[in-house]
Order: sequence, then C-alpha cells, then structure tokens
Amino acid sequence: MEISQTEEKELSVDILEIKKEILKMIWLAQSGHPGGSLSCISLIYILYKNIMNIDSNNPNWEDRDIFILSKGHAAPALYAVLSKVGFIKKEDLFTLRKFGSKLQGHPTKNLKLGIEISTGSLGMGFSTSIGCALAAKLDNKDKKIFALLGDGELNEGVIWEAAMAASHYKLDNLIAVIDRNGIQSDGSTEEIMALEPLADKWKAFGWHVIEIDGSNIKDIINGFEKACNTFRKPTVIISYLIKGSDVSFMEHTKKYHGKPPNKEEYEIAITEIDKQIKRIQGDL
Amino acid sequence: MSNIPARDILGKFLVENGDKYENMVVLSADLSLSIKTDIFAQKYPERFFNFGIAEQNMIGASMGFAISNKMPIVCGFSLFTTGRAWEFIRLACHDNLNIKFVTTHAGLVGGDGSTHSALEDLSLMSCLPNLNVLVPGDNVEIEKILEYAFNTPGPFYIRLPRGSLEDIHKKDFTFNPNSIDIIKEGNEINDICMIGVGSGSSIAIQSVSKLEKDLNISIKIINQSVVKPINIKNFISRIKNDKCILVIEEHNTYCGFGSIISRIVSENCPKYIKTLGIENSFGQSGSRIELLDYYGFNYENIKKIILDLIKS
Repeated sequence: MEISQTEEKELSVDILEIKKEILKMIWLAQSGHPGGSLSCISLIYILYKNIMNIDSNNPNWEDRDIFILSKGHAAPALYAVLSKVGFIKKEDLFTLRKFGSKLQGHPTKNLKLGIEISTGSLGMGFSTSIGCALAAKLDNKDKKIFALLGDGELNEGVIWEAAMAASHYKLDNLIAVIDRNGIQSDGSTEEIMALEPLADKWKAFGWHVIEIDGSNIKDIINGFEKACNTFRKPTVIISYLIKGSDVSFMEHTKKYHGKPPNKEEYEIAITEIDKQIKRIQGDL
Repeated sequence: MSNIPARDILGKFLVENGDKYENMVVLSADLSLSIKTDIFAQKYPERFFNFGIAEQNMIGASMGFAISNKMPIVCGFSLFTTGRAWEFIRLACHDNLNIKFVTTHAGLVGGDGSTHSALEDLSLMSCLPNLNVLVPGDNVEIEKILEYAFNTPGPFYIRLPRGSLEDIHKKDFTFNPNSIDIIKEGNEINDICMIGVGSGSSIAIQSVSKLEKDLNISIKIINQSVVKPINIKNFISRIKNDKCILVIEEHNTYCGFGSIISRIVSENCPKYIKTLGIENSFGQSGSRIELLDYYGFNYENIKKIILDLIKS
C-alpha cells in the first residue's frame, strides 16, 4: 500500500493527538505506564487504521482480524486507538483506572469495546494468539492475528514456548510485533536480561524476521504488508522505538515506565506535542 | 467398568463424541499416550494439537481457541496442568472462557512418587472464581460429568486419577450438580456422615458395613463430586441431621475439600468434622495399596477417627 505524503502527515498528526489523549488519561488517573504506551502507539494505530479488517459496528464479526496487546500495561494506547476507530466513547477514556470503569488498568476482555482477551500478566497474550491462529487455520479463515509484545516481556519463558509452537505449526497468519524500545521496568533490557542478538534468536526459532524503524510510518506499513504476505512461517516485526517518545523528559528513561506525570509535567508534555503537531501542520 | 482406568474412559469419551461436539479441540503437552487422548488424535488429527512439554503455552493457546468459538479440552497430568500453568488457568477463569481442563494422575500417583503426586490441585483450583471443580467418584460418573461439562459453557476442572475407580453407581446414574449424591442411605439421624471425594467414596463404601457392625453406629455416605460450586442449601439439608462428618479425600488436608466443607458446615449448622487426607506431605513412591495404607486410608485408621468423632 502506497501512501501519499499528505496521508503520512495526517497519520503523524493523528498519532501525536492520540499521545495527548494517553497522557491525559494517565495524568487524570495518576497511575499507569506512559513510557511504553507512547512508544508503541504508532504500531497500534496504523494496524487499526491501515492494516486490520475490523468493524466497530460488528465486534463479533467472525472474519475480523484479531489484535492482542500482550504488553497489557500499554492499555491506554489500546483504549485511545479503540476510541479513535469507534469502539470506545471518547469521554470514557478519562475513566481509566477509576472505580467502576470498564477501562481497567490493564485490558479486560470486552468484545463490545474491541478488547478480545484480558492481558497484562506478561507473556500470556502471545500464547493466546497462537490458539487464535490455529483456530483460524482450522476454520480455513483468511484472517490475521497480530500480537504486540514488549521487549522486556521477551524475558518470559512462555514467549519462547509460543515461538516454537508458531513455527512448528507454520502459522503464517500470525504476526508478532515487538516494541523494541530497549528499556524495561528496572532499566535497559541489555542490563537486566540481555536480548541481543534478538533477530537471530527469532530466526533460529523458525520465524521470518523484519526489522523496522517504528517511528517511520512508511516503514511500519511496509513491514506489516510484507508480514501479511509471508507464507509457511510466522513473522515477527522487530520495531525499533523510543520509550516515552515525543515527550523530551520521558524519552529513553525507565523513570516513566510506570509513573504518571504530575500536573506541571503533563502541561509541558502537551506543549511539546502541540509544537510538533503545529510543525507538521505547517508543512501540510 | 471398574477395572478400566479413568484415563481410558476419558480417551474413549473424547473419541466417541468427536462428531457430537464439532467445535471440540483436544490439547496435549506431550502426554497423549499417558492420558489416552492419542485415540482422538488418530481419528481427528486436525482437531488435536500437541504443544510439546509446555503447559503454559498449551493453556495460553487454549484461551485463543476459546475466543475463536472452539471448545478446547486441555488434558494433562493434574500437577503439571494446575501447578505449572496456574496463572494461565486463572486468566481463563477471569475471562470465563469455555475451556475444559481434564487432568489425570491426581492424588497418590504410585511409582512416579512425590514429584508427580497432585495433592494440592483442589486448593489451587477451588479458589478461582467462575471455575467449576468436579471430581468423579467412579467411571460411570466420569462420563456423566464430562457430558455435563461439555454441555455447559464456562471453565471446568475435572480431576481424575491415573488408575481405576471402584464402581459406586448403577449404569443409569444421572449427574446433577445441585443434587446431593447419597450412595449409602442411613437412618433419619446418623452417627456419622462420611463424605467421599473421588476415590474417597469407594474407600468409604468398602469400610462401612464393618464399621456399622463393629461400632454399632449408623453411617450415611455422600459421594461429593462437586467441589465447587456447592449448592449449599441442598447440601446442608442432607447433612443437618447427622451428628458428625468424616471427609475422605486423596488430597492435602490443608485447603482441600475438607477445609471447604468445614467452613460451609460451621457457618450453617456447626458440628464436628474430621478430614482423612494427606497430612502435610508431598506423597512418595509405592504401590497404590501401600500408599493408601501408609497415609491412613485403611479400616483401622478410619475406625479410630470415627471413634474420636463420636467421643467428641
């Protein structure tokens, strides 16, 4: 799929606007995970906007593509995108983590809201995606299963159990996407539990590996398209991203992995993102 | 049917019902030969999935099948399924998914020894909301419970032994989770109500005539295959007139069925209860006869416990 420069800029602005929603949700909740929500939002938004076959008016549609946010702590990112594409009312976003809200701190299954399965305890969502992919094959359905994984999440043993099973069963309808921002809760992924050489690990497990610049929209779209046209093996897209991206003081740090901004920080963050939006719109 | 191991009953049930339950898929973690799901795999290879020795991924994948409108039957050893992959089962129950966890090798497993004995699984499973926890007392009941579970949406844990269970029901037995299954009627008021869970029911049956005769007491026996959810009203109505209760279960006495029922009885009609189970141990290797005897599932010990109960 070729996209024009104008479309690319519109997507960039949308992503920045969604980042503002994410920050507002977490700031109002005064808890949550801004760093890993900001990093992966481009992937989730482009999946829902440009790649997946879904229908917010028919969330039970049998032939829909499936998205599983295995890194469930990025729930604000998922909720904000589901709001943008019509599953969740915008005003409900700001009930995140509040008593009685449907929008729990981590995703809880609610098909009407577009949430396929509960996630948050890391590693589990990825193995669930294996079952979805096997079931789709069994039913001869031409549908894709997308699972978004954090890089820290790859420490979990079940990730590698699932990786073995996916290539064993030649699940070419399964696409894993890794938010490779390099930082987990306690620090750098390479300091805590080294992942590199990550691409080689997935290759050794029998996967088709695509590496992309996750901040480049064309790169993301091309990556997904290549993945969707891979046969006889599953694909993993290792997407190099920046933790806390587009908010200067949240970038490349573990500090905002699980810490909300205070009022002053929130306002600075919004100002920074607004400046970027204006810069892009000035170019439009 | 009493000589047929429980796992053979399971394997036969699955293969005979493959056409009836078209959405059924059977999952294994490299134990299809041990659990006899291999015969399903031979007849329905497209609906059988082996995940290798990876219980966590097997159960994670079962959740994916369930949200894709399949009915996964997750088969494994009781310990590895409930222990290794507990949090995956928790999440399946959290989302109230239509998954049937059917395990074998529960209780005192025999030669495999302490590392393979599942004496804690009822504790692990009974605390999970939404989960139905069922322990058939004999082969007739295994089939009836499987049929009930397959026809009832939601998560189920069905606990089976490795070997065979003695017959306690007639072939026309029907399973109703709300009715209390009295397998030996007593008097209007009984000195003892013995409550068997799984093999505990046949252990109770085997000793009851001699106990009644030797101790000159009246005994009623309930086969309690429903560990959760218990129909408390019906249960209490059937035990309220009995003086004392003895629970018999192949499970750790900490947080097994005895613990569950002690709470329910103490809250609703307090009376003395004792549990014959495994006391704070992981089990050990040995023949089944040796193990049952060592852990006190024998006539003399049951008699001693009942005498203590009567004195109390």
